[in-house]
Amino acid sequence: MKLFRRHKHPHGPEMLDCEAVMQQLWDYLDEELSPDRMAAIQSHLAMCARCYPQYEFERSFLTALDRAQQEHSDPAGLRDRVAGALRAEGMVEI
Amino acid sequence: MNDETDAKRDRDRAFQREALVCLADVTRYALALTRNEADADDLVQETFLRAYRSWDRYEPGTECRGWLFTICRNQFLNSRARAQREVALEAPELEARQAAMVHDTVRNSPLEETWLRADLAPAIQRALGELPEVLRSAVILVDMQDMKYDEAARVLEVPVGTVRSRLFRGRRLLQEALLTYAQDAGYAPSDTQADRGSDR
Repeated sequence: MKLFRRHKHPHGPEMLDCEAVMQQLWDYLDEELSPDRMAAIQSHLAMCARCYPQYEFERSFLTALDRAQQEHSDPAGLRDRVAGALRAEGMVEI
Repeated sequence: MNDETDAKRDRDRAFQREALVCLADVTRYALALTRNEADADDLVQETFLRAYRSWDRYEPGTECRGWLFTICRNQFLNSRARAQREVALEAPELEARQAAMVHDTVRNSPLEETWLRADLAPAIQRALGELPEVLRSAVILVDMQDMKYDEAARVLEVPVGTVRSRLFRGRRLLQEALLTYAQDAGYAPSDTQADRGSDR
């Protein structure tokens, strides 16, 4: 799960409307925007009663996805199996 | 002869140091792709065998995990005859707006809390498994393996914009599937369902 850092805006706040924020919300959550745009969206979310719940909703969803990863029931057994196959292939340092 | 033995030993050590340490991540990716532990085991073993045989083509110090994911996915797609590879995609911005509609549907219900229910994990895994592979892989790589869009693009061998479209579409479809599940299970009110097609 990515960490949500605080983004500082070096040139003062850029004003964005709700539509622009909604269109870039996932890019924001994925930290794929420029530092300026990250800061602008962060400022908007801090003030906007309409967009902030949407942000919380999507963030909770991404947290749930991250937590839902399926884990192998026998990782040690699989490791042994892979190691055995690699030895049979000629790998010596394992 | 000794030089040759030393070189092989170094090669094997490098494989262990860079590739085998990714076994847990490759296993999770294979499980998400196959949705079946026995098939995932076969896929993981084949991935590491192919990687070992091709190790001379790997550039040391580059993103080994991504390289292994590419091998894993190609092997998976080959075994499935590249089924479900083509999916019509909307513009990412449209997908983001449509996702906001899911939120509108549940605005007055505690679905944020529902997302985080421990017993929702099997439903998430099931919904993920029902996504077309191209959408599922984008979601797994970015949301579960924490890859940036450009890293995922290299694994999937597509442009960054395509990753973005697939990711946003996959997330929206997952949310819709989970919303239906939550409503059926009584976690979210179903009387708001009529609003689902409305625009903002």
